[in-house]
Amino acid sequence: MDNKILIVAKREYLERVRTRAFVLMTLLVPILMSAAMLFPLYMSAKSGPSSSVRRIRILDATGAGVGDRIAQNIRSDSAIADTVQGPFVVAVSPADLPAAEKAAEQEVMKPKSLQGYLVVDDSTITGKRAKYFGRNAATISDMDRLETAVRQSVLTVRLEREGVRPAVINDVAKNRLELSREKLTEKGRGGSGLTGLFAGIIVGVLLLMSIIVNGQMVMRGVLEEKTTRVAEVVISSIKPESLLAGKVIGVGGAGLTQMIAWLVLGGYFQSFFAPIVLKAAGAGAAVATSGPSTVASGFAGMAWSVLGVSIAYFLVGFVFYATLYAAVGSMVNSDQEAQQAQTPVMLLLMSGWIFVNPVIINPNSTLAVVLSWLPWASPVIMPIRMGLTSVSPASVAGSLLLALLGSIGAVWLAGRIYRVGMLMYGKKPSFAELAKWIRYA
Amino acid sequence: MSDLAIDIRNVVKRYEAHVAVRDLSLQVPCGSVYGLLGPNGAGKTTTIRMILDIILPDSGSISLFGNPNTDRRVLDRIGYLPEERGLYKKMQVRRVLMFLAELKGLNPKTAAARIDEWMERFSLMTPDKDWGEAKVDELSRGMQQKVQFISTLLHDPDLVILDEPFSGLDPINAQALKDAVVELKRRGKTVIFSTHVMENAERMCDSVCIIARGEKVLDGSITSVKQDAGMRNVALALRGGAHNGVGTVLRDPQLVSKVDDSNNFFELELAPNADAQVLLRRLIDAGANIERFELMQPSLHQIFLQRVGAAGVEAGLSGHG
Repeated sequence: MDNKILIVAKREYLERVRTRAFVLMTLLVPILMSAAMLFPLYMSAKSGPSSSVRRIRILDATGAGVGDRIAQNIRSDSAIADTVQGPFVVAVSPADLPAAEKAAEQEVMKPKSLQGYLVVDDSTITGKRAKYFGRNAATISDMDRLETAVRQSVLTVRLEREGVRPAVINDVAKNRLELSREKLTEKGRGGSGLTGLFAGIIVGVLLLMSIIVNGQMVMRGVLEEKTTRVAEVVISSIKPESLLAGKVIGVGGAGLTQMIAWLVLGGYFQSFFAPIVLKAAGAGAAVATSGPSTVASGFAGMAWSVLGVSIAYFLVGFVFYATLYAAVGSMVNSDQEAQQAQTPVMLLLMSGWIFVNPVIINPNSTLAVVLSWLPWASPVIMPIRMGLTSVSPASVAGSLLLALLGSIGAVWLAGRIYRVGMLMYGKKPSFAELAKWIRYA
Repeated sequence: MSDLAIDIRNVVKRYEAHVAVRDLSLQVPCGSVYGLLGPNGAGKTTTIRMILDIILPDSGSISLFGNPNTDRRVLDRIGYLPEERGLYKKMQVRRVLMFLAELKGLNPKTAAARIDEWMERFSLMTPDKDWGEAKVDELSRGMQQKVQFISTLLHDPDLVILDEPFSGLDPINAQALKDAVVELKRRGKTVIFSTHVMENAERMCDSVCIIARGEKVLDGSITSVKQDAGMRNVALALRGGAHNGVGTVLRDPQLVSKVDDSNNFFELELAPNADAQVLLRRLIDAGANIERFELMQPSLHQIFLQRVGAAGVEAGLSGHG
């Protein structure tokens, strides 16, 4: 290989990595992405049954101790922070219930007092209804928890009445069954379904962003060489094709550096901040231990093969789009013109990305399969599919090969436009003129 | 090793609408200063770009120092200063120079030493201020021109190609450039430059080639070019200018075929078969107050106008020389 390509690549790489914008982007993006992922985690932890569930009054008109059982059920839940007292059970006769309800209502309406009050009576025991009035009546997680507590308590009371042994009842009441999920495919087990989804989306977004950002970087670099007229001196020392190759390698290298930094820093920030965020959300120990492992393993749990293949797709996808962007940069004379002229390239890239939702919902649909074979869409779509479902190695290899052929085609095409365009000043060429450049170059 | 620095044979370059270079052949001997002269749009820049393998000729061959110009090693021996100049604006001066030197195959260590040497020489590096640390766009235009010129010579090229080197140069940098060309010539290097300013060419060149509309009009050493043009020119200086009677004499087509009237000074081209002595007598009879009447070789400018003519100076088709 022409070692002048390396000289160009070195310059491109160093000039880019040295800029403040590069350093800032490299640090900020993982912070923002971590924040974007930790925020939902924070919200879900925050919106788990809160301590509000405890700060209620239970008006028990059953005379069967259902209220006490409900209170006990809630108190014994470790996921609910025990920083406050309650629930408070008040046993009332059915006749006094309206007065007791009125008193409770007034109590709830005072600032900083009860969250609400729960009414249980005979219709509750028969499994018909219970009533709740309170500030948190719209909080789904609180109400879910309360409903569970009422159901389990009623169940216990009914079982007792049917003469079931207390030990059995106790055992059933404590039942906190959790459904653990793990992906199983013909390739064997691999992470939870959620992990694959996270990894797929992260990789897809990163690939798309990197291709756009670095592709435009190449375009602007080419345009700078053209408008400052430095291109002519450089081309007198090195073939235009080598200059183009060096530029793409240098910018791609800087992009790859940034992407790896994003993955490493992102993973680190996730595992470092997730427990802190959960603690801040006031979630109990149970959530705190299960939460971060799910999210942080979004990176860590990603199979190495997926990572390796993603990098391979980044490289071919980047070469494909970067050379097209370079061609755009070489045929225009100003940033404004470049913004306009890059539209076809952008549309091509987006033609795959707009289908990312259906692909995520059904990664084995015909649409998803077709997209993962098209050279201009596969670099973004295939890694997402690989994260969600099992794709045969032969398909991956075939699609990569096709993408590689596509890249070679793009390099050939862009190289010809570039060779002519770099020294052509004046009017932006029409499509007919472009076709001539490609033929005559 | 060939004793020709550049050997262009029957080169043709066609563009869509016109022929930029038409069957051009020219030879530049090693160690000479060679002028490529022509009006704007004559094909000078196209020719230079073909020499540098930036664009390919449709037919014909170009060799440099006896090797085809597609050989990249030969191109590393050339220093090129294009007409349209520019550097990476946001890059440190020293890094730009290093990059361009490395592209010419210079190793970084040698390049670093030479950069310092040249920057001192062009006073871009003084004990109080090192402009090498600055970014290119922090430099004045004059300083940027110096940096560009350094980048052309940094790898000690055997052949230096300067495209319209004097356009846009301030007088001080223009003088520095002339000095540098003379020094290069003294050290046995070959310099070829294009220009449409004949005075520069006449003073500096050993040989010239005049091209117009993509075709060679004439070439050869300055001496032979002038000799071929013959002693048909008269330098005439008149006190008080050409009043009526004198004007009539100068406009007589039997005597004078062309007049370059600069008010007090005239460069005349004698008509074929006209006698300079007859002209002198007629001028005296007309009452001219003659300060100088000298038979001389035509200036390059005259030869250029005579051979290319006003028609050759039509609007450039490509916009480049």
